Amino acid sequence: MSLLTNLNSPIGKKLVTGITGLGLTIFVLMHMIGNLSMFSGDDAYNEYAHFLASLGPLLYAVEAGLVLFFLAHAVNGVKIWMGKRKARPQGYAVYKSAGGPSMQSSSSRSMIITGIILLVFTVFHLISFKFGSGGPGNADAAYLTTIDGVEMRDLAKLVREKFALPWYTIGYTAIMLLLVTHLRHGIWSALQSLGAMRPSLSPAVYTIGGLLGLGIGLGFIVMPLALFFGWL
Amino acid sequence: MSTVLDSKIPAGPLKDKWDNYKNTIKLVNPANKRKHTVLVVGTGLAGGSAAATLAELGYNVKSFCIQDSPRRAHSIAAQGGINAAKNYPNDGDTVWRLFYDTIKGGDYRSREANVHRLAQVSNNIIDQCVAQGVPFAREYGGLLDNRSFGGAQVSRTFYARGQTGQQLLLGAYQAMSRQIGAGNIEMLSRREMLDLVVVDGKARGIITRNLVTGEYERHFGDAVLLCTGGYGNVYYLSTNAKNSNVTAAWRCHKRGAYFANPCYTQIHPTCIPVSGDYQSKLTLMSESLRNDGRVWVPKKQGDDRHPQDIPEEDRDYYLERRYPSFGNLVPRDVASRNAKMATDEGRGVGETGLAVYLDFADSIKRLGRDVIEARYGNLFEMYERITGENPYEVPMRIFPAVHYTMGGLWVDYELQSNVPGLFVLGEANFSDHGANRLGASALMQGLADGYFVIPYTLGNYIAGNSFSAITGNEEAFNEAESAADARIQKLLSIQGTKTVTEFHRELGQIIWDQVGMSRTASGLRTAIDQVSALREEFWQNVRVPGEPTTYNKNLEFAGRVADFLELGELMARDALEREESCGGHFREEHQSAEGEAMRKDEDFTHVSAWQHTESGHVLHKENLDFENVQLTTRSYK
Amino acid sequence: MANSMNITLKVWRQAGPDVKGGFETYQVPDANAHMSFLELLDVLNEQLIKEGNDPVEFDHDCREGICGSCGVVIDGVAHGPQKRTACCQLHMRHYRDGDTIVIEPWRAEGFPIIKDLVVDRSAFDRIIASGGYISANTGAAQDANSLPIAKADADLAMDYATCIGCGACVAACPNASASLFTAAKIAQLSLLPQGDPERKTRVKSMVDQMAEEGFGDCSNHAECEAVCPKGISISSISRMRREYVKAMTD
Repeated sequence: MSLLTNLNSPIGKKLVTGITGLGLTIFVLMHMIGNLSMFSGDDAYNEYAHFLASLGPLLYAVEAGLVLFFLAHAVNGVKIWMGKRKARPQGYAVYKSAGGPSMQSSSSRSMIITGIILLVFTVFHLISFKFGSGGPGNADAAYLTTIDGVEMRDLAKLVREKFALPWYTIGYTAIMLLLVTHLRHGIWSALQSLGAMRPSLSPAVYTIGGLLGLGIGLGFIVMPLALFFGWL
Repeated sequence: MSTVLDSKIPAGPLKDKWDNYKNTIKLVNPANKRKHTVLVVGTGLAGGSAAATLAELGYNVKSFCIQDSPRRAHSIAAQGGINAAKNYPNDGDTVWRLFYDTIKGGDYRSREANVHRLAQVSNNIIDQCVAQGVPFAREYGGLLDNRSFGGAQVSRTFYARGQTGQQLLLGAYQAMSRQIGAGNIEMLSRREMLDLVVVDGKARGIITRNLVTGEYERHFGDAVLLCTGGYGNVYYLSTNAKNSNVTAAWRCHKRGAYFANPCYTQIHPTCIPVSGDYQSKLTLMSESLRNDGRVWVPKKQGDDRHPQDIPEEDRDYYLERRYPSFGNLVPRDVASRNAKMATDEGRGVGETGLAVYLDFADSIKRLGRDVIEARYGNLFEMYERITGENPYEVPMRIFPAVHYTMGGLWVDYELQSNVPGLFVLGEANFSDHGANRLGASALMQGLADGYFVIPYTLGNYIAGNSFSAITGNEEAFNEAESAADARIQKLLSIQGTKTVTEFHRELGQIIWDQVGMSRTASGLRTAIDQVSALREEFWQNVRVPGEPTTYNKNLEFAGRVADFLELGELMARDALEREESCGGHFREEHQSAEGEAMRKDEDFTHVSAWQHTESGHVLHKENLDFENVQLTTRSYK
Repeated sequence: MANSMNITLKVWRQAGPDVKGGFETYQVPDANAHMSFLELLDVLNEQLIKEGNDPVEFDHDCREGICGSCGVVIDGVAHGPQKRTACCQLHMRHYRDGDTIVIEPWRAEGFPIIKDLVVDRSAFDRIIASGGYISANTGAAQDANSLPIAKADADLAMDYATCIGCGACVAACPNASASLFTAAKIAQLSLLPQGDPERKTRVKSMVDQMAEEGFGDCSNHAECEAVCPKGISISSISRMRREYVKAMTD
């Protein structure tokens, strides 16, 4: 009870957003590295996917955790955003950032928008790939392959099909750029929310966070683009 | 009609007086304190510390301030520091030395017993403030740092960067806030005290105006503590905050409280000069600047060359010339007066001709820019922010400005005015600084009064008196409230052609010219006539806009200027009456051949306390007996 | 005169708390480069009174950047364009002849408007009253030097203690959060050994009070630090959060 009250306080909300945000950052980082296995060939990619799928209960636990993190992160983000409208019912006629030590940027101002788009994207993304052809509840013999005598889902095929579509590739790329935007403010902000920031480190951490975000985003984009342009 | 006032100084040797007093006073039963309501007006160092301490003791406290928060009182602007006789640096300081320096600094026009008590409790103040979390400057060993201030020969000043007043005030404010949170203080912000209510000869209530709604409120209790600061804004331009005013004190004065030594005002030598007639206030810079800056003006009148183009032989370093041993470090009053003399001779600098140079070029050459920056960087920045000039390259322009008023309502040893139940604390009273206040003493006095004096003296008053039950509906309340309302209505009804600010500026100019750094009998007589004529014009021709029922700052200011117009005349009368030069009060008729101030101890070793009557002001005197110190002449040659 | 300026002001006028407000445009032909921003408003008000109009109400007191009374949003920035400067010390030399300046009050649910540019900031007092102090009754203190405090800690505490309570942090925050104000006091007291006994109750009750006053949540924009006249660092907010976590785990 008291823990819940604490987590719902102005600081509790930030702690939850920060912890889940960092957790989700680690997730997207891992996901992105996994995606890069495509560069070692379709088989490597499928084997990696099969390895994850065969983890069984552990996978379910991680998935449940991810869902929880996503929801908690989103719910708190929305709450903070809604609180902001309540806290300033009448806005300014003219408003601008003072610059300088301010970290306010298009990134920080658009967290709610990039966040909601990313959430919606995640749902479609799961439908496309996790639950797409050959996935759970969607068995399809055309999307099966056998590697070293083990039958597994041919996820690489699905990936190749999707990223042959121009609108899909463009959309995906655009959304990954929004992820970069989200992480640019998000990584630094999560550390600040967790009280881990020192003034002397702040600019460096902000830069590193931004670069990490950019790295994750580019890592996600490079594989679909390579597929689309037929380099892979 | 004129009487000699009794200051009720306790018996015994000087150093035992305060203990003797505490040993013999009556005490209020702890269970009964709750039944006694105390009204504390003002939330600066004196009011804030008094309200917090009395609430801690169990009294029922109501506290009032004109700002939107008690944290904004003007004590917050004090920069330099606070004195205490801790002797942490082991450089020979004692309670006696702090007492002696303060008495001497006040040019022997203050009460020995009060000043000694102030020096005694100074140490408790530092302890108390540290316990509250005031972040005083420290040395690397973790102990408190001290510095020498205002030419003192010992380092007894505690400080928190250049924001000592702020930190001490926030300490008191936080102590108050704790009591507000606990329900022991009822805090009423944005309230202005418009009158004192005296019932059966005792101060029992006040009339306030809610500055947001314009409503009048009646507050009553068993004692009223007036902690409303000084009256420096009578000069219009001063280093005081814009809301600082004399109204609460003046209302008490008109209800019978004596006003003591109104002519004692302190003019601080290192302020940023006036830049134009739109100027609304003046900004002080720490006088520590004079440690490394050299004061000069051109030798020739009207020399309008750029300061860097004026060669050494055409410059007059007048303080170094006239006071070879103290040079640029002469006390505040001497430095100020000499700046005025230079500009009066037409040798002032800058666009207005009302400034002198404070030049750091030699120090920068000798010590390097880095050293100067480390010592005064923040002050240089402030100067540049306000003037747009870089003092590392161009000499600063400075001019004296009104900074503090030593005069105030007369109080006895218990800080009680001649109206029973009306206590006056801090700058609002006249008590501890004589004719001139030393640097870093104002903060000390405000907190001494509030934390360590009033808890005892108020208790003695409450325990020793009986209080009839009152409801706020007594005739005295009705009369005071209707008088306050009539005044407000009158101000709004005139609808003349001159604004409140215009009147205030005119008044300020008269007082500055005639009751400023140097005064003459004929000038003071002129001032009396001019102020009284201006007052008459004010009540015929002032234009106050707006409504009485909404937030209306012009209306607030109008009432305050009306009171300043009465005070200004009394200041001139007091200055005229005091036929001597002492401290901040310099009469040109009373100077040595070299132009130095000359006291007349045989005739003027007294406090002048003025009583307001229907037929005019009556002077009462309190003789100052010096049993422990020898009266000497200050010399800085 | 080279220093004289003609300035156009678009000022928010609102007759009272529950009345609809709007912008009025005024010309101030007698502005001067050496004036402070508040002196410009003084000149405007003298002009308005002479014309028989109501002057613009704004809070101000010390006019030297320490009392925290003044504060308006100038062209979209709390206290205006000059860094680490309250608007009372902003001077007109930062503007050019012919400029138009838009002036608005602090806008936040926690700071209801009283009139024109004057807002009610008593929420800040209530936040302090909820725990922003060290409970030390007068007279109970030990000798000041009996408790050494590392110079670095004392200096850092002083950095946080310089808050003037003006409310610019709330005004500039896109979420109208009072985190910087609240955190500055918590951070100051958490650095001092005197503040230790109450550290857990202090952070909890101050944070609760902050939320109760209707201020928004922090989104780490750090805009507060950028407009703070004393440049108080958002590291105070980090500290507040650490203090809160320690209090939570109790």
